[in-house]
Amino acid sequence: MLSEVRFEGVHKIFGTETAVEDLNLTVGAGEFLVVVGPSGCGKTTTLRMLAGLERPSYGRILIGDKVVNNVSPRFRDVAMVFQSYALYPHMNVYDNLAFGMRARGASGKLVADRVKETADVLGLGQLMKRRPSELSGGQRQRVALGRALIRQPQVFLMDEPLSNLDAGLRVQMRAELSRLHERFRVTTMYVTHDQVEAMTMGDRIAVMNSGRLQQVDAPETLYDSPANIFVAGFIGSPRMNFVPGRLTTAQGKPTVEFLGVKAPLGAGARLTADATDADVTVGIRPEDLMWRKAAGPDSTLSLHAEVDVVEPMGHEAYVTALCAGETVTSRFPPRSGVRTRERVELALNPARLHLFDARSGTTILLRPIAGAADPPRSVGEARTDDSAEGRAERQRQPQARGTQSRAEEIS
Amino acid sequence: MSAVQARRVGAESLIVVPYNRVSAAAVATNMILILLGCFFLLPMLWMLFASIDSNPDWAIRLPSPTLANFVDVLGRADALSSFRSSLILAGTTTVVTTVLAVLAAYPLSRMHIPFKRAFMLAILFASGLPVSMLIIPVYQMYVTFGWLDSLYATALFLSASSLPFAIWLMKNFIDAVPVELEQAAAIDGASTARIVRELVLPLTLPGIAVTAIYTFINAWGAFIIPFVLTYSPDNQPGPVEIYNFMGSHGLFKFGDLAVFSLLFSVPVIVLYLFMSRYFSGAFNFGGAVK
Repeated sequence: MLSEVRFEGVHKIFGTETAVEDLNLTVGAGEFLVVVGPSGCGKTTTLRMLAGLERPSYGRILIGDKVVNNVSPRFRDVAMVFQSYALYPHMNVYDNLAFGMRARGASGKLVADRVKETADVLGLGQLMKRRPSELSGGQRQRVALGRALIRQPQVFLMDEPLSNLDAGLRVQMRAELSRLHERFRVTTMYVTHDQVEAMTMGDRIAVMNSGRLQQVDAPETLYDSPANIFVAGFIGSPRMNFVPGRLTTAQGKPTVEFLGVKAPLGAGARLTADATDADVTVGIRPEDLMWRKAAGPDSTLSLHAEVDVVEPMGHEAYVTALCAGETVTSRFPPRSGVRTRERVELALNPARLHLFDARSGTTILLRPIAGAADPPRSVGEARTDDSAEGRAERQRQPQARGTQSRAEEIS
Repeated sequence: MSAVQARRVGAESLIVVPYNRVSAAAVATNMILILLGCFFLLPMLWMLFASIDSNPDWAIRLPSPTLANFVDVLGRADALSSFRSSLILAGTTTVVTTVLAVLAAYPLSRMHIPFKRAFMLAILFASGLPVSMLIIPVYQMYVTFGWLDSLYATALFLSASSLPFAIWLMKNFIDAVPVELEQAAAIDGASTARIVRELVLPLTLPGIAVTAIYTFINAWGAFIIPFVLTYSPDNQPGPVEIYNFMGSHGLFKFGDLAVFSLLFSVPVIVLYLFMSRYFSGAFNFGGAVK
């Protein structure tokens, strides 16, 4: 029953607008792939093409071994959860759940059994006689989910299913969706603009921007080794700091100059072949830029800055500071006592730097700079085997990775 | 009045009372509305009083009650046949118009059609054209086809003239049904026939009813088209019959006229009441999308 989904050179052009450009993407059988990107990046169009609601302008879409470009939605054996839920307003919950099975000519007995089963899984048992207008947002969401689950399709498609829920319910449903995926292991393509959903739910994340696929990787890989400035800036909150820098060679070693400091790249750092002495954009995650007084021994670089804004979050605080004419955000411990206008010393581990080509925005650092031991990551897990082999291995077997551990983390 | 009271209470007892101001503008507006309302209500009042008056004339006055006028009208064959004609005319027009309007409005609402906007504007323009403009060429056409004095052929032209507005109305009703419902049903595996039967029709039923009732009421009151296209006494619908009451009997039978008008208005009033129910409560897609 598990099917792989493949996009091969898919384009979608609306009039003069190119919504999706040359998309090549494989969703492994049983994988939970999250497609994330800003509004208008083509993620929903991609999903709708897979559902059969839009037809690709060029390229092929395969479900299993079958090219489905010309297969109507009805015969694709996919189920979709819409952002708006799209429940049938004149039918009660039971009929909403039963609709798809009845449409496929299932017998009354089978329909009744499966409706009951699905309702039990989702806790909808008491609501069977209600109409959608008599349900709360969370209940509607469950019905929409149930309508997809009951069909036992080859592929699940979800279009921002949590965006209409309030914050608390969203966290709860996020965990529930992960649990359901763990249980049924149906190939899932999940579209969202919310990077937290992407990071917590996806086996892998596909980042899209302006109709182009930017990077597909496991969440931690995406976070640690963003392929370009867009991915680096989109994943992670607060956003990664970007400051101009210059790549030079000192004593035969590549060195990067930025914010008035010089940082030699560690022995393990490998640059892309065409990286030369040139202008670069240096990326620094706020959690890698720490208060000197709270920093570990690996943070060998020191920067002097003037505090501009302090945003306490409770468990930590984000401090926006001016440093060598650039505005940077850094993570401070809670109750650090620093105030606006105060001069502080910031500490940075050079191994955590990201380097991007100043013009193209693509990364020029193949691996994060080796060297010091990794500090704890805000994503939750310490970085695992980040060698090229390890990364490829994870991509080959996305379902082997710990959805379970993440589900536990959330719940 | 309440405002005055409120102010006086407030001044005397120093209790703060909600303060309703009656402005000069509000008074003027209401006076004008009442005046306009009289223009509509007084003729109806005359119709009510005259219908049960034993000796009615132009004046509105309290009647000396009798049912003689009703007995008189209900005994007249032409009065009854005009009801039959009106029913055939309005019924046929309603069925033809509604079916065609739904069939036209659905693709206009849902599909990508070249020049759709221009087409919709043309429809809107057509719905504003007065039919009297067309009546002479249409008469000529009916003469040529030999369709004169046929109620069904007349209904055909009535349908054509009510279609533009009906399409426009119906399209707006279908637009209000979220297209995602149909997409969800298609992904759920439903055939087009099932989607139409189980989603589109039930969800647009209020719209279909409103379109049908609206068309029926218009056709029921249509005067100029049947007046020109039918001539035999058996085929004269109600509005033409009323005209005959006034024109051809020399001496006005005010009582009969009032009774006939009253009876002829009843279906329209009933349908309006029915339609208002649909307008107030039936358009509820709550829970469908967000």
